[in-house]
Amino acid sequence: MYGNYLKLLAKLGLYLMLTFIALIYLMPFIRSLVASFMTWEQASKIPPEWIPNPFTLRAFNRIFALKLFPRWFLNTALVAVATVLSNIMFCSMAGFAFARLRFPARDLLFSLLLSLMMIPAFVTIVPNYVILYKLGLIDNLVGVILINAVSVNGVYLMRQYFLSLPQELFDAAKIDGCSNIKAFFYVALPLAKPAIGALSVYQFLGAWNAFLGPLVILKSPENFTLPVGLTYAFHRQWYVEYSPIIAGSLIAAAPTILMFVIFNKYLIRGITLTAGRG
Amino acid sequence: MAFALYLSFYSWDFIGPMKFVGLENYVKAFREIWRGINGAPPFFAPFFVGMRNIFLYTAVVVPVQTILAIILAVLANQRIKGVTFFKVSYFLPSVTCSVIVSLIFVWLFQKNGLINYLISRVIPGFSPNWLMDDRYALWAIMLVAIWGTSGNLMVSFLAALQAIPNELYEAAIIDGAGVIRRFFNITLPLLKPMIAYAVVLGTIGCLQMFDLSFVMTGGGPAYATYTMALDIYNTAFINLDPGLASAKAWILFALTFVITYFVQKKYGTLRA
Repeated sequence: MYGNYLKLLAKLGLYLMLTFIALIYLMPFIRSLVASFMTWEQASKIPPEWIPNPFTLRAFNRIFALKLFPRWFLNTALVAVATVLSNIMFCSMAGFAFARLRFPARDLLFSLLLSLMMIPAFVTIVPNYVILYKLGLIDNLVGVILINAVSVNGVYLMRQYFLSLPQELFDAAKIDGCSNIKAFFYVALPLAKPAIGALSVYQFLGAWNAFLGPLVILKSPENFTLPVGLTYAFHRQWYVEYSPIIAGSLIAAAPTILMFVIFNKYLIRGITLTAGRG
Repeated sequence: MAFALYLSFYSWDFIGPMKFVGLENYVKAFREIWRGINGAPPFFAPFFVGMRNIFLYTAVVVPVQTILAIILAVLANQRIKGVTFFKVSYFLPSVTCSVIVSLIFVWLFQKNGLINYLISRVIPGFSPNWLMDDRYALWAIMLVAIWGTSGNLMVSFLAALQAIPNELYEAAIIDGAGVIRRFFNITLPLLKPMIAYAVVLGTIGCLQMFDLSFVMTGGGPAYATYTMALDIYNTAFINLDPGLASAKAWILFALTFVITYFVQKKYGTLRA
């Protein structure tokens, strides 16, 4: 009898603790969501109020009154989609080559590639900038896409996945007269859907949230992506009130949050596949 | 990569011809550090100030976020209803863009913002102007960093926790070990490789901290939140000295490498 009560009590305590921590983690989101529907006077009241009164869309109106804001949104979306597509193509091909093909110095090349993961972005940003400068791609969204077109992490993820597929499949394909290219498109790729899913979600988030690359490469405000643009607006103090920045931030974060809530299984599996091997 | 190394031996302003200067850029960078050690004001030794700040930052953020992540993972690893909701809410900050997180926190950290309000309920009368005060600005940024990354590490720890075979716990229960002893004698030792991984990755991330400082404070007030990465950015793209910036970037990389090497040596190696 007592044992049951104790169990129930422990469970209750656990729930309380989990909820409390979740509140801490969600608080900034909840607070900014509520505040973005308030007038600025109400949002900066002390003690804080939690129910918008009057309910107003002023903050959203003001951020969209800025002609550049929708433009930034489109730029970001374009960069993110292009980055995802090029990563799916190149990472899966490279991953397949490293996992299933035999060519000289393959393992040496692969460990070289892995060591690239250690190099901080700050070592490569200056040379990348110079290369893009020579190509005439500074202040161009193509430049932003190009520097993230292939990710080492992505190649690694795809290689691990292709290695986990049974070799017999590829042997059978070979006996049926498949070339390597055919084996890639008709056998490996259709089987790699879960890995490609994880890769896409990762690359989308990475490209959507990227800051340093776009910050360095993009010069004119109409080419900015959302993170760069919002920082620019904040530093230039375009708004006396802070609520338009908050509203803009929420809109900018919405696609990633939505994506995460829908695909969190893929994302967590991706981490398990690459990082969880500890 | 190789181009970065090549660049660090040249003096160049992006436009004019490149001039080979040998190790001069490295000498300049080290002289800056040396000036800083001798107590030069931050303006003359920004690279050193960035280094000092980032060491303090890393030394605080990495242990706290790792321990927090383990606690979160253990809590979220219970088989109860609705646990997915909690996992998602802990992980949410790490999928949100760091710039957006910074912008939201700038507002929360204002003198009459939410964070000061919550603190004033616990410690009355304590309401610093976080990001404008050089004593608190770096701590405020640490707080944001911990909030933002612990969820990400939690997922890695969750994966590691789920890999621990259940029989070990069953055996321990038969031997009469309590919850706490089970945690310290089974869970923690088996998590050790994962902890090493989290510490190494966390250190690499912390040493390169850039966006939080750039957005929230711009390195100020009075260089209190200046970081090495910020200095590399300024050297390359504000002072237009890519050669010196590359030299500094290589010093940052060397530091990262040495530190992570010692962490790995002490806590076991990573299996890539």
